[in-house]
Amino acid sequence: MKTNPDDPKWTAYVLGELNDAECAAAEKELESSAEAREIVDEIRATTMMLKEELARKEGAALTSTERQAILAAARAAQKSPAWYHVRQAFTVGALAATVLLVVATLSIPTLLRSRQAAGPGHTGVMTASAPTGRPAAQAEFGHYEPRGVQDPSSPKAVPQNEFADPALRKAEPSSSSSSSSPSPAPAGPIAETAGFLNSFVARAPSADAPDRPRFNTEAYDFISDNNFIRVSRDPLATFSVDVDTASYANLRRFLNMNQLPPKDAVRIEEMVNYFTYDYAPPTGSDPIATYAEIAAAPWKPEHRLVRIGIKGKEVDLSKRPPGNLVFLIDVSGSMADAEKLPLLKSSMKLLIDKLTENDRVAIVVYAGASGMVLPPTSGDKKSVLAQAVDRLESGGSTNGAAGIQLAYDTAVANFIRGGINRVILATDGDFNVGVTNQGDLTRLIEEKAKSGVFLTVLGFGMGNYKDSTLEKLADKGNGNYAYIDTLKEARKALVEELGGALMTIAKDVKIQIEFNPAQVNAYRLIGYENRVLRHEDFNDDKKDAGDMGAGHSVTALFEVVPRGVELETSSVDPLKYQQASQAVPQSRSGEMLNIKFRYKEPESSTSRLLEYPVVDRYTGFNDASADFRFAAAVASFGMILRDSPHKGQSTLDAVLQIADRSRGADRAGYRDEFVQLVRKAIRCQTSAAPERPCR
Amino acid sequence: MEDATNSTWIVAALERYESHLVHYATWILGDAERAREVVQETFLRLCREKESRLGGHLAQWLFTVCRNLSFDVRKKENRMSLIGDAEAAGAVYERPLAAIEREQAMTEILRIVATLPKNQREVIRLKFEHDLSYKEIAAITGLSATNVGFLIHTAIQTLRKALLAQSAKGRIS
Repeated sequence: MKTNPDDPKWTAYVLGELNDAECAAAEKELESSAEAREIVDEIRATTMMLKEELARKEGAALTSTERQAILAAARAAQKSPAWYHVRQAFTVGALAATVLLVVATLSIPTLLRSRQAAGPGHTGVMTASAPTGRPAAQAEFGHYEPRGVQDPSSPKAVPQNEFADPALRKAEPSSSSSSSSPSPAPAGPIAETAGFLNSFVARAPSADAPDRPRFNTEAYDFISDNNFIRVSRDPLATFSVDVDTASYANLRRFLNMNQLPPKDAVRIEEMVNYFTYDYAPPTGSDPIATYAEIAAAPWKPEHRLVRIGIKGKEVDLSKRPPGNLVFLIDVSGSMADAEKLPLLKSSMKLLIDKLTENDRVAIVVYAGASGMVLPPTSGDKKSVLAQAVDRLESGGSTNGAAGIQLAYDTAVANFIRGGINRVILATDGDFNVGVTNQGDLTRLIEEKAKSGVFLTVLGFGMGNYKDSTLEKLADKGNGNYAYIDTLKEARKALVEELGGALMTIAKDVKIQIEFNPAQVNAYRLIGYENRVLRHEDFNDDKKDAGDMGAGHSVTALFEVVPRGVELETSSVDPLKYQQASQAVPQSRSGEMLNIKFRYKEPESSTSRLLEYPVVDRYTGFNDASADFRFAAAVASFGMILRDSPHKGQSTLDAVLQIADRSRGADRAGYRDEFVQLVRKAIRCQTSAAPERPCR
Repeated sequence: MEDATNSTWIVAALERYESHLVHYATWILGDAERAREVVQETFLRLCREKESRLGGHLAQWLFTVCRNLSFDVRKKENRMSLIGDAEAAGAVYERPLAAIEREQAMTEILRIVATLPKNQREVIRLKFEHDLSYKEIAAITGLSATNVGFLIHTAIQTLRKALLAQSAKGRIS
């Protein structure tokens, strides 16, 4: 393909002005055309120079008198809020006002329902219908008098409260103490239908705990699906959060090559967490907010599906704390492939573009020998940074350990208190010189993590064989792990989630769910196979768990067999001695489950506990929110790809149908891409009778 | 909807854009004092706005109001006969641009920028000095976003080629 350097898209690409489709097309062309890459590099260099030269000069400011006048006007505006409400109501427009009047007089519940149908996140008429604030509005100055107090569309006619969606309600903490129970239920006779359920309160810790895989076991690479667990045997599910998304990018690579991914490359929680859901960020003092939604499981309608969402607080990127970033780059021979080092270099430039003078960047390389190729340098020296990146070349064998040592030493030496201190390791995971013993390497990382420096692992161009090493390193190093296969993925991991990936807001986030035996027969955690914790680890602050970055969200799905529905495949006989045991009064509270969270502030060593009870409102699957349905489709897709014994009656076609209808806003086009991947999987499955790989 | 009763967003806007806007207005008007008056008036008008009504287009709003007010000032002073047309609007930058850039020790790239057509200079400033998006620049200048993209790309191409030619020359000598 001949590249046209005069196409404005190249500049638009460098400046991040292309939409997703255009961007994907441009990146495709970039991957195939060296000429295009050269043009883009030169444009980038030119724009960086321009930015540096034209950067805001000091000295241009208002006088203090002028500023005082503005602040006084701002305070005056604050004192007359009513005036603004009226103005607001007017600018909605006469037509909208009339419509609202009619609707409001007809039936407010109708309006409420239609709002709910519009999905969670709608906060009411004002946001929904306010014009975009285009500057045309300035023509309206002074046209508004406080005469419209009786305006029909003023907040009186339409309830001002947020149209709280009961389906996706924000759970309110009931208590912050681990011992106190949720809202007291009337004491009454023991549930007559208690059956063989035993009391979960009376359970002796770990005495009858089933033999589960432990967190970070060596059986990492082989994933066996979590099985259903009877509440009578163990009412508690304990696991660590996981914000990694590498598995999704990895399986996308397989599907794009028209191959079904190997079963063990499919980690369902990483697929579900790849997508953003409409969780509002926390408003209180806690850095995380919690959401729960329950509806029927699409692959087995008699089962309930519980979606638990946690959202980390958003951090304004312009107010992001200063960064102390040390890139640790594998330049061994195996990194020479186009989808490794060259892609990494382009990815780094995307990140460098976003850094400011407050940030420090250093680059350490490792191969046969390790060395510093860029000492800590200010983030606004864009051309210096870009040149250092350009000079990176591959060659030699890989001695990961020495490089890790040097990178951490550099990060510690430049430690910024309250800042983002992070080593960013970019590699294909092929450690073959030095400390190759994985155990030694993870211990080295674990030791280094105590210094307060966090770790990001970027995986490049590998099959799924090495990703267990990398995921383990990220886990041990208080870090996260992303698999980068395209520039688009690099942008998602490094730029869009800059705040999130680089700024930890809560660490060692653990979740413990207690199921109510009066409501639940059995339950199953979908995915998170290698994140399962022992129950006693929940309250043990010395036990490491997953971390959350700014704006990150975590979604966990439980499949629940309600009371009265029998478990189809029961491998364990009912208990002989614990039948008809006593259920405590709280079991009749109507709550299905109680969620407990523990997290630590990034620089603290003691955890905080949050607790939320959740009630099942018997929502059908089609009445669930689009986010819920989409997450269910992704999980179902994962189970089919894994050929899980729990995939139920679901098919790829059913997944396609659900996902296609629950795209939501999908601003970045990720859900659309998912729909395309499901289509590819269907083609893969039908075009090749023998299983995998298919061609 | 709490923002109606909260003026902190205006303080934040002042903090963030004051210097940018003074620069921009000075550049249009060629006079720092009148530029400050225009910027003050811009922020006073912002106080009468409601944050939610700006729908996240704060920068775009501020630059547009500041630009229009600047042109109003110029119009009143009869220094300009025509407004609204982007090409004509560009014409007013000639003098102040030259003045400002002479004052600074001009680096090579700025020297090349100064040779660009006026409409390209304006979008280059808005993009790289004030960090606005194509869409915002389009709304502020009244051009289409495609046109903005074309102007910026053309300018960047000119700069890129000039810089390449220079580094080639440097290598020979």
